[in-house]
Amino acid sequence: MKKRRMYLRMITASLMRRRSRMLVALLSIAIGATVLSGLVTIYYDVPRQMGAEFRNYGANMIFTAADEEFTIEDAEKGAAQISSSQLVGMAPYRYENVRIRETPVVAAGTDMEGAKAASPYWSVDGEWPSAQGELLVGADIAENYNLKTGDTIEVTYTPEENETDEVTLDNFILFDVVGILDTGGSEEDYVYMYLSDLEELTGESGSIDVAELSVSASSDELSSYVDKINSSVPAVNARLVKRVTASETTVLTKLQALVLLVTIVVLALTMICVATTMTAVVAERRKEIGLRKAIGASDSSIIKEFMGESMLLGLLGGIIGAILGFIFAQEVSKNVFGSSIQFRPLLAPIAILVSIAVTGLSSLMPIRSATDVDPALVLKGE
Amino acid sequence: MFGRMIRGALFRQWKKMLMIAFTIALGASLATAMLSVMLDVEDKVNQELKTYGANITVVPKEASVLNDLYELEDGGSAEAYLREDELGKIKTIFWAFNIVDYAPFTSVKAKLADGSDVTVVGSWFNHHMELPTGEQLDAGITSLRSWWEIKSGSWLDEKSDADENSAMIGAAIADKLGISVGDTLEVSGIAGSRELKIVGIFDAGGDEDDQIYVQLDTAQALDGLDGCIDSIEVSALTTPDNELAVRAMKEGVGSLTVSQFETWYCTAYASSICYQIQEVITDSVASPVRQVADSEGAILKKTKLLMVLITILSLIGAALGICNLVTASVMERSSEIGLMKAIGAQNGAISGLVLTEIFITAIVGGVGGFFAGFGFAQIIGKTVFSSAINVRPMVIPIVAVLVVIVTLIGSIPAIRMLLSLRPAEVLHGR
Amino acid sequence: MSLLELKNVYKIYGELHALDDVSLKVEKGEWVSIMGPSGSGKSTMMNIIGCMDRPSKGEVLLDGVDIAKESANKLTTIRRDKIGLIFQQFHLVNYLTAIENVMLAQYYHSMPDEKEAMEALERVGLADRAKHLPSQLSGGEQQRVCVARALINYPEIILADEPTGNLDEANEAIVVDLFHKLHNEGTTLIVVTHDPEVAEVAQRTLVLRSGRLAKEVVNENFTGQIKFDRED
Repeated sequence: MKKRRMYLRMITASLMRRRSRMLVALLSIAIGATVLSGLVTIYYDVPRQMGAEFRNYGANMIFTAADEEFTIEDAEKGAAQISSSQLVGMAPYRYENVRIRETPVVAAGTDMEGAKAASPYWSVDGEWPSAQGELLVGADIAENYNLKTGDTIEVTYTPEENETDEVTLDNFILFDVVGILDTGGSEEDYVYMYLSDLEELTGESGSIDVAELSVSASSDELSSYVDKINSSVPAVNARLVKRVTASETTVLTKLQALVLLVTIVVLALTMICVATTMTAVVAERRKEIGLRKAIGASDSSIIKEFMGESMLLGLLGGIIGAILGFIFAQEVSKNVFGSSIQFRPLLAPIAILVSIAVTGLSSLMPIRSATDVDPALVLKGE
Repeated sequence: MFGRMIRGALFRQWKKMLMIAFTIALGASLATAMLSVMLDVEDKVNQELKTYGANITVVPKEASVLNDLYELEDGGSAEAYLREDELGKIKTIFWAFNIVDYAPFTSVKAKLADGSDVTVVGSWFNHHMELPTGEQLDAGITSLRSWWEIKSGSWLDEKSDADENSAMIGAAIADKLGISVGDTLEVSGIAGSRELKIVGIFDAGGDEDDQIYVQLDTAQALDGLDGCIDSIEVSALTTPDNELAVRAMKEGVGSLTVSQFETWYCTAYASSICYQIQEVITDSVASPVRQVADSEGAILKKTKLLMVLITILSLIGAALGICNLVTASVMERSSEIGLMKAIGAQNGAISGLVLTEIFITAIVGGVGGFFAGFGFAQIIGKTVFSSAINVRPMVIPIVAVLVVIVTLIGSIPAIRMLLSLRPAEVLHGR
Repeated sequence: MSLLELKNVYKIYGELHALDDVSLKVEKGEWVSIMGPSGSGKSTMMNIIGCMDRPSKGEVLLDGVDIAKESANKLTTIRRDKIGLIFQQFHLVNYLTAIENVMLAQYYHSMPDEKEAMEALERVGLADRAKHLPSQLSGGEQQRVCVARALINYPEIILADEPTGNLDEANEAIVVDLFHKLHNEGTTLIVVTHDPEVAEVAQRTLVLRSGRLAKEVVNENFTGQIKFDRED
């Protein structure tokens, strides 16, 4: 017990009283540990953070009717299977042929909030509809009918069933055009309104044609969601939008591989840096090692002491590095992705352990060779 | 004598000098590798993002009120087409180099033997082109539809599979018709009918699963539409939009001043590439596919920013590491410096000597490090993107300046310490 | 049996005979000086007696054990248990306090004991400087810490290599004074020096020349008492 106290007293004395030299070593270890914990944190967070960016591509899962038709409740039941933190948005769509100025147009009834979340790439000139009676018009339609935001337009619907010879009256609603939709795709040929407006217009409610979902999850998770939904909600047929999911996986895998390789390269280099620093630190103390041997220290006890010292350095450097690394990763995340990073409690002890191991290993070689010194030579020479 | 001392120091203490050179080489290689990757990452990720398919679509002018809606009405009034003979011109525009892939599409309504309707789409699969520039390009949906999963058979190969009746069929309709690879299927259009030979079944996870894909000529022949194209999809490497590009799109090219127009025209914005395509394809409207173009922009920006920050971190790390070691190794020589002072060396002479030694070492290390870093960058490029990283010339001066500054900063505290040494103390080993 | 006996010891470096057929005996409790000019083989002999080096030929019997044939590890153990070393350049661990430096020797020997270490410092008159770092001590004080360190484990022999070489006269006197005390307590002392004044106070002086024992002077006036001339 006493012996251990002396041991601790010696190594702490060495660290505390040789402050400037030890700070130099500590600095390089801390840099190494910072790089390690920072980059590894980023590495693990890239899929999550970049995944959010990839949601720009819009829906990656689609619900359609398994049989004849399905309702918005079915779609919600399906969406409930997906963890709410991963579900970016869901937009139900129902398409009907309607008429504007007596020419046919496809109208889509949807939930505007859901559409906005599920299709972030939609660029709306004007406002998104926020209340019933407001209409979002595709750019092509707007051009053809010469519609501008602020215009008012009548949308007519002719009910289909016409079994009797009675003249069925057209339903119509007067809409305010609040926004022009520009996507560069087929959406520009539709008009968008709230689902409830479309139901009122057609006089039929309940069923929808399709629901688009944007889910922030890996492709494996996505396929397992699809299986789960298809088995637990019989009315819904869930499918992945392969174009989006397959490409996302490819690109994300590459990005992650990039960060991983960069991490490895940076880490290897900082490790070598730590090793050279430790070599220099030990080389400086050959004389002291000689003295210790002269007063009777065995090689193993010298290795024990110097290793204890460098591992303590590694511990301190690791703690500093783990903290700085997290701060760094946090800053990167805030600057790049505008969101904070998940704290991974496991990473800190791992970074600290690795830093202890690296420091220890990189000191072992020089310490071992230093114990070969001949005390007589070291002590005699200036 | 000065030169002799330097030589003496470098060659007789080569172990120590080697260590300094090694550390500087490490730092320089890290800087080179990271800067090269950072400067090239945008291009590389851009290439990867091409898996999302085309980011520009070109349609005939009159038909830009298109027929998703009139689809059931069989073309009818919208008889506008692009000209097949103009396709090659897309590779002659200002940003031709950035056009990585494109494919024309002609889709016809045909009937199967049982009288049911089917959409037959004619396109390029891996269409080989020899451009006037001498460049060669394989363009078509084999690469533009990289997300298609081939269920059985293989991609239609235009080069080896000369049979113009070869076809690929969507998984959904193949299932419905009970067709497998090697079967034949008769389709007839307005102008003729063909016995198609199925070479592949694909699962696209979309509407294409109900369609049949054939070579362009085959589809055109079905409806007698020789030389006519419905649309062109273009995959281009683009620069994320900035304010200028947004304005050019929103307010039209006319709103730009001449110099703004030139800047815009000579930057690879999606909108300027669209503009250039419209210039070469008669009566066309080219527009960016917002879903792809916008997302690409966002992802590219983030990736680049991410790499910039990681690069800065590693540069700081490398700089501190070098500083550290230079300081440590100069300090080791205190007794030698003490001796020199004792025999009458001036401070200036000592600093000059130490600095010259370190800079010669730094140059050796820096040059070695640059090439090692070049190697690292290539390893990263090959492993991650399976293509070499272009090292920009600007990396060289940046690394050089970095090495010089860092070495200088690393030497300052050490030299200051050496100068404050009192020879008597050093020599008596106190 | 003598405590230390060298029988026909040679140490040969290539052509150079650093020690050339040296034989000597040191009895328990004796105080012996070894003198000689630079290059006479003093240091070589000191290293061999101090178990830091082995002779090329011959026997070195310490307490009846021939240390010439032991392994390096065994030599470390013998050195730790039987020999206390004092150096010209003091050689203290510069980040440990005076008392910690003394405890270091205990630590490698057996158990560190702060009380005992303090007593040792008291014996060399440095109890009040125990918590000082070497850099805060004068040369004489540092050498006294070394003496305390050398005697802390009750060694058979205290081996001092030019113990006063770096000291002024006042401090030299203090250290020699300490040697008297140690001698009176029965410690065996071997002091290597080229300072005749320091050599003279020993019971016996051996003079080395070119690796050979040239002369042996027995100090007839040895009293075991302090008889150092002070300037003041």
